[in-house]
Amino acid sequence: MNSARVLGALVKADFLTRVRRTSFLLTMGFTLYVGYETFAGHIVLRLDDYRGVYNSAWVGALMGIVTSAFLSLVGFYIVKGSILRDEQTRVGQILAATPMSKSFYTVAKGLGNFAVLASMVGVMAVAALLMQIVRGEDRTLHWGALLGPLVLYALPAMAFVAGLAVLWETLPWLRGGVGNVVYFFVWTGLLSMGVSAVVGHEGSLRANAFFRDFTGMPTLMSQMRAALVRVDPGFGNGFSLTIGSVGPAKRFVWNGLVWNGVEVAARLAWVGYALLAALLAAVFFHRFDPARVKAQGGARRAEAAPERGEVIELKAARHLAEQKREGWRGMLTAVPRGEAKARFFALVAAELRLMLHGQMWWWYVGAAGLFVGCVAAPLSEGRTGVLVVAWLWPLLLWAQMGNREARWATESLVFASPQAMARQLPAAWLAGVLVAMGTGGGLAIRLGIAGDVHGLVGWAVGACFIPSLALACGVWSGGSKLFEALYTVWWYVGALHHVSGLDYTGVVAASARPGLFAGLTVMLVGAAWMGRRARVAYA
Amino acid sequence: MKLSIENVGKCYRGGLWALRQFTLELKPGVLGLLGPNGAGKTTLMSILATITRASEGRVLWGGVDVASQPNALRRVLGYLPQDFGVYPNLNAQEFLEYLAAVKGLEAKIAQKRIDQLLDLVNLQDVRKRPLGGFSGGMKQRVGIAQALLNDPELLIVDEPTAGLDPEERVRFRNLLAELSGERIVILSTHIVSDVEATATDIALIAGGHLVAHAAPEELLRRVDGKVWEWVVPSADLNGVKEAYRVSSTARRSDGVHVRVLTGEAPRGAQPVAPTLEDAYLDALSAHRAGRSARAVPA
Repeated sequence: MNSARVLGALVKADFLTRVRRTSFLLTMGFTLYVGYETFAGHIVLRLDDYRGVYNSAWVGALMGIVTSAFLSLVGFYIVKGSILRDEQTRVGQILAATPMSKSFYTVAKGLGNFAVLASMVGVMAVAALLMQIVRGEDRTLHWGALLGPLVLYALPAMAFVAGLAVLWETLPWLRGGVGNVVYFFVWTGLLSMGVSAVVGHEGSLRANAFFRDFTGMPTLMSQMRAALVRVDPGFGNGFSLTIGSVGPAKRFVWNGLVWNGVEVAARLAWVGYALLAALLAAVFFHRFDPARVKAQGGARRAEAAPERGEVIELKAARHLAEQKREGWRGMLTAVPRGEAKARFFALVAAELRLMLHGQMWWWYVGAAGLFVGCVAAPLSEGRTGVLVVAWLWPLLLWAQMGNREARWATESLVFASPQAMARQLPAAWLAGVLVAMGTGGGLAIRLGIAGDVHGLVGWAVGACFIPSLALACGVWSGGSKLFEALYTVWWYVGALHHVSGLDYTGVVAASARPGLFAGLTVMLVGAAWMGRRARVAYA
Repeated sequence: MKLSIENVGKCYRGGLWALRQFTLELKPGVLGLLGPNGAGKTTLMSILATITRASEGRVLWGGVDVASQPNALRRVLGYLPQDFGVYPNLNAQEFLEYLAAVKGLEAKIAQKRIDQLLDLVNLQDVRKRPLGGFSGGMKQRVGIAQALLNDPELLIVDEPTAGLDPEERVRFRNLLAELSGERIVILSTHIVSDVEATATDIALIAGGHLVAHAAPEELLRRVDGKVWEWVVPSADLNGVKEAYRVSSTARRSDGVHVRVLTGEAPRGAQPVAPTLEDAYLDALSAHRAGRSARAVPA
């Protein structure tokens, strides 16, 4: 009983901490946007040329599948970071001094994550209700059919994401930016695993298919197909969840899911996996041990031993006393007064050094390999393959842009310097551009040799666009997560698959839109400028 | 070299005034800005360091309004904030090099000064060690070094001794005393002993208002003859606390030695020489009493 009370208190505090932040409002805004997009017909569930009549069953299923498929990606980035927050606020050290077990804490964190994600599901439920009423194709409300998919699809999916977020935070190699990138590929892998369980087994879904998909799509696909076959025996088994406009569709009436024991068990199994993930996290959880926290924070070579520090303090006291006797004031070099020179490029160099600092040797080897690869590979391969990888390689470097000062609490030092706005922000941006030009520079050489001016322009715009996106995301979010998540998705969809209008690399003629990305670059730099201006008292 | 603070006020979101009608004029020397927690010291420091804007009033540096030309002040400003961070993967040398570039220092001069400052704050031996492993005192010394990088004419240090052990505190006080000379040093603290040894001027701040601004001697003169000490049995201590403004108490074998601030001598009490702490308490009490009186309708 007492444990339940403690658990409740932990989850409540965690939940309240998050919902009282501006970012939660943004989260809810995003959820509403997804709900609106679905309502407006920009996210469409189709079976070949058919869609269901917007009755409770269809609307509920649509919202359920949209929530579990899309919010499972975004939701992860939203909830990840609760253990880090306890670490930064030092609340963790207070909790660590209580009798609470590690598994209790990680499960509580998982529940806190789940509470936030469940509130997003709640917003989608309201959106579903409004959608059915406003669409007006069938206004008869069947609450079970409307909300059932949200409860049985979306909530278990959100629970799984909540558990994974805790696990990610406790694994040293996944808790940072690498983990944010890795999650995207894990998420696409999980989606593929679910879809592959269904595709090719249309007539005979095995029980394990339901356990392999965390979104609930197999149940939905099999039952919708079965219903449509009864209406149109010639139906070709197509099933798609599409973002964007699609043509008009034929309509059929679908009356909802019929749940059997295996399917319900499969959904509950994902809640069980979530619990397992949270419990597994306890194995790796450092319990806010300062030594392990520091080691995981990257300062592995740091000597944190207080005993050594004390020795230095005492030595310092003697040293200063001696210096005072000698009169140290004269030993400092005078700084010339008068109008300071801009020394802008010295600052660019300093920003570049800061950005590159701490990179391991293999990072430089990889960057050099990609540069050489761009030069040596056939030009077509360089455009479509090597450059794409070369502009993913420095992702974590760019992700620090615009938020480093907030993250490490150096704002008061940096922003009190002369011309903080006019010098430091542009210098940081230029450093980011130089990194993009450095890793992808090999292709520029090839394009120059080939005399491909359009390609060169597109490449240069791309090299400016990426750090501009990073800077804007960093300044406005105050962290690296937004860029890490957004850029990874953008890279995957736009750059890797060369989707026109999204391909920022600018070197593939069919998908290059340098004018669009030049405009976006200007807007993003402007946004970063405005965001920073709001933080610096005198811009 | 003159810093003028004219009727400065700062209102935060929600209508909370952290600072109100604050006026002060500073010339070279060490100003001890003394006040209880939440008095508005850090807000004032942030305004002077151009980190935040004043909601009303103005700050003039050499007669120039800081709001219109903040860089005129920033070029000669050294600022050690109460809470500041470092980049944990950089070492002390690299961190100072970065901040020198941000401050626009010429590279050769910056290198020399960094070398000398690391010597001054005795971090030469650990200059290559990542800052993430530094103790609080060592990090504070990095803070002092960065504040001195540009040879500032105005040095603002906000609660520099918070979290330091007594020996470190003494060392910082000495360092600040040495730093004064031709510069204006503003030392903000709630610890009276921090300013006792170093300040040439003291400004008392409470509730966002300037309570007093005077030389330490003048503040002491104000409580001359108002500080009394005597010994009372432990059982009587509560009664004494109710009747007088108690400055300090100390339990000894003969009873409790009580030090009080009052205009009239308590029975059996002896007059004692006032300390700055007595002056501080007296000024704060008078300020609070004045505010209470204003709050009660006639």
